[in-house]
Amino acid sequence: MSSHRNQAYLKTRVAVLSARLLSPQEIERLKGLTLNQLGETFDLLPIFEEDIDTRQKSRLVEQALLHRLMRELSVLLRPLSGRSRGLLLYWPRKFELYNLKTLIRGKMSHLEMEEIRDNLYELPENIRLPHESLLQAENVLEMLRQLDQGPYALIARQARNVFEEQHETFSLDAAIDRLYYTGMLRHANITDSIDKRGLKKVIGIMVDQQNILWLLRYRLVYHFAPSEAYYLLIPYGGRIQRDNLMELANLEGLETIIDHLPAPFQTLLSDAENITQVRQRLDRTVSVELQKLMHYSPDAVVSALSYLIIRDMDLMRFYAIIQSKLLQMDQAMLDEAVPGDAMDATTMEAVT
Amino acid sequence: MQMFSTLLMKHISIQVITSDLPSASVILAELNSFSPDTRPYAEQALPEIPGRRFRESYTQAKTRLDKIASEVGFAPTSLSDGVTPISEGELDQANQWLGVAWETCSGFEETRRRQHEERVNIDQLETTLANFRNLHIDLGRLQGDKHFLETHIGMLPRTQVDQLRDALGLDRYLLFPFMESENETHVIIVGANDREASKLQSVLDTAGFRPLEIPPELHAEPDTAKTRLMQRREAVKQAAQALEQAISAWSAESRQTLERAAHILHLAAPYVALGEAARHRGDLSRLQGWVPADDLPSVERALDGKLPSAFVLEARDPTAEERPLVPSVMRHNPLLKPFSALVMQYGVPRYGEVNPTQLFALTYILMFGMMFGDVGHGAVILGAALLLRRKLGSFTAFGITAGLSSMLFGFLYGSIFGFEHILHALWIAPLTDPLYMLTVALLWGIGFITLVTLLNILNHLVQGDRLGALFGDNGLLSLLLYAGLLGAGYSFYADGSIGAFWAVLAVLTLIGIFAHKLIEQDASIGERILVAFIETFETITGYASNTLSFLRVAAFSLNHVALAIAVFTLADMMGDTGHWITVMLGNVFILVLEGLIVAIQVLRLEFYEGFSRFYSGDGRAFKPLTL
Repeated sequence: MSSHRNQAYLKTRVAVLSARLLSPQEIERLKGLTLNQLGETFDLLPIFEEDIDTRQKSRLVEQALLHRLMRELSVLLRPLSGRSRGLLLYWPRKFELYNLKTLIRGKMSHLEMEEIRDNLYELPENIRLPHESLLQAENVLEMLRQLDQGPYALIARQARNVFEEQHETFSLDAAIDRLYYTGMLRHANITDSIDKRGLKKVIGIMVDQQNILWLLRYRLVYHFAPSEAYYLLIPYGGRIQRDNLMELANLEGLETIIDHLPAPFQTLLSDAENITQVRQRLDRTVSVELQKLMHYSPDAVVSALSYLIIRDMDLMRFYAIIQSKLLQMDQAMLDEAVPGDAMDATTMEAVT
Repeated sequence: MQMFSTLLMKHISIQVITSDLPSASVILAELNSFSPDTRPYAEQALPEIPGRRFRESYTQAKTRLDKIASEVGFAPTSLSDGVTPISEGELDQANQWLGVAWETCSGFEETRRRQHEERVNIDQLETTLANFRNLHIDLGRLQGDKHFLETHIGMLPRTQVDQLRDALGLDRYLLFPFMESENETHVIIVGANDREASKLQSVLDTAGFRPLEIPPELHAEPDTAKTRLMQRREAVKQAAQALEQAISAWSAESRQTLERAAHILHLAAPYVALGEAARHRGDLSRLQGWVPADDLPSVERALDGKLPSAFVLEARDPTAEERPLVPSVMRHNPLLKPFSALVMQYGVPRYGEVNPTQLFALTYILMFGMMFGDVGHGAVILGAALLLRRKLGSFTAFGITAGLSSMLFGFLYGSIFGFEHILHALWIAPLTDPLYMLTVALLWGIGFITLVTLLNILNHLVQGDRLGALFGDNGLLSLLLYAGLLGAGYSFYADGSIGAFWAVLAVLTLIGIFAHKLIEQDASIGERILVAFIETFETITGYASNTLSFLRVAAFSLNHVALAIAVFTLADMMGDTGHWITVMLGNVFILVLEGLIVAIQVLRLEFYEGFSRFYSGDGRAFKPLTL
């Protein structure tokens, strides 16, 4: 996207949309609202008023929030063409890959077609898998044969291995995630962005977050061997590079791993007691770092991509608040799931 | 008048006993005249939509049948039995059978996939063995249990090699790639035999590592190993043949049942296609849709004669608000079919809008002839269309009429294969008076634009939009402005002065258009003036540029002659044989290249200068229930 007019348009759009991002104070305020008040804020009242069970309501809310995100994406895509457009269009493919995971797992678990369908994201035509034909497949092998014919042949092979050898699906999930981030990097490499460094930083931030969380889960929860844990990670993060990642995979214990993380992760996570706390702090850090890129990157595409990622995280937080209200969880549990103001000072200090 | 517009439509609602709905749908589908109206209606009185289970069962059965058809190459024959409605029980039974049948076919497909994989494996193994044989390395020695060394030979996806090498490095194993094929890398993994084998196996499984089974006799008896591989390949080949035979046998054995299932699905389709156009409460159902007014009596007669129980049919004209939702039906002479297809490329006419097919066909053929007038070339087009009529299908008429038009203008221009002296021109040889040709083209353009503007006015009046007909783009005022501009231009050309009458007409209409554009907008006064000024200016430039665009009609007729002269000049530079070869090749060149360009240019004139002035093309296509 070389045109100055398009850059200016996109920058303005991002600036206007960024007013919708949720500050920690806003998150705190939302946590204090009732379900109906939340519904009014995000036009979700009709869903809450429908005569359906909690699970269906939760599902509809999730879809509504995703549609909101996709609408914003389509606004940001308007001035873009060529590779920049391709890059921004690639980002939401993660939802398509979530769907792919759901489809494969659903078929492997012999779930009914309707049950699988209920758990799929409704996505715009241009980033959607041919769900219907995959859903109509009557068993796993048939679905994998269909996947064999398209861009997911490698995933199909991995899935077949998992299915035939009765393995856990971690390798499959990891392969899908790696496929996504590799694609993202490929797009970043070929785009004519004037801020490639910024762009790679955005991707690096996402990969680092993913790697830290999954490394901890593989090593501490599932007790995988270092080699297997490392194999399932993505070896091209932002601050955590290949050698670093190998070293981390060889360590034991939460504290030891955190102690060996590079800055600013080490300071940020130093007193984290469990993986949930690690996730929350990483989420907030990612948000702060991406906000900086959104505001200061010279390339509007980088700003737009950063905005979309933060917005997605915000909507996820908002969704967690709605879910807690729907399930009538108490305030303490909600605070634990969606920390607001309290954590912000620590995060800001660590990041800056 | 109906032939110049879409057919008059009626909105009908039919109340039937719920159990008669499938019959009603089949009867309506047989008539090919009923398009379901799926707008929500009577949601309180008739809260349910019938046939949800039926639809689900149908979708599953249809998917299964399509998959089976593609697997065994089955194509259902046309309906031979009578047309009867399908019950849910019959559909379920067919679906159940198709489920079992697809399981068998899916098994065939999976076996085929495995056989393919086995073939690939044998290929890979052979390549690996050949590779090692050339290097004089005994691969057989690398496998099997060793006291101190653990080795694995196999393949993995190319993209995984680096990551796996690093991962295995953590367990102190070494990975060596030794050969690469399209997507796979062949590797040897070596490590000390003192660790938990399960750990390594787990990583290898996760990475999708596929071990290569090296024949054990490779070291001692290489020929035996080679023979063993050949035997494996032969076994796969035989298994593949056996599989194809089994598929053929199954297909032949199941043909009748498959036909029956296809027949059931065919008859079940209309009920499924009704969708939300049907609603019910208990035993009472209602369905609604659109029917051409002319077909209403036959619909009533068919329901009366074939529906088992009583029914109530109510028909009414579409309301003004419904007009945008009414589907457009056009019935043409088969000769007009190709022209209708081209019109549809632009869009479907709105209900009640002028159907431009006849006008399009006539003007297209005339302009094509004018721009590509040559008896010989027209005859070739005509002959080609007749020869290729099977392949061209309904487009044969297009080729024939274009050829005839080209021949007609060829006689008028006195041109045959570019030769201008063989035939006497019945009208004029274009190059003898280019200015005359350009004038004729200009007049043709003026007539064409005037006609399409009048059609636009008519369209607005039909839709009840009098204001649009008078003041809108290409309305009466625009037409008068066009007349004023043309009159003023002609007066200036003929007498050297604009002429008071034309000047007053142009200025007054211009003020009228400007005022209308000023009033119709909802913006600040400054913005209104700016937009009104630009749009009024666009109206003038639009008419001027569109009119001049028609000069290409004359330009191409001149171009045709000029190209022929160029070919003859080149031919005259050759010897006798060369002369005729050049003339022939030149004519082929003119026929193919210029013919194609003219065909596209005429289409451009029709769509851009014509349709854009009067034809909205945003109507709804009529999609009737069919069998």
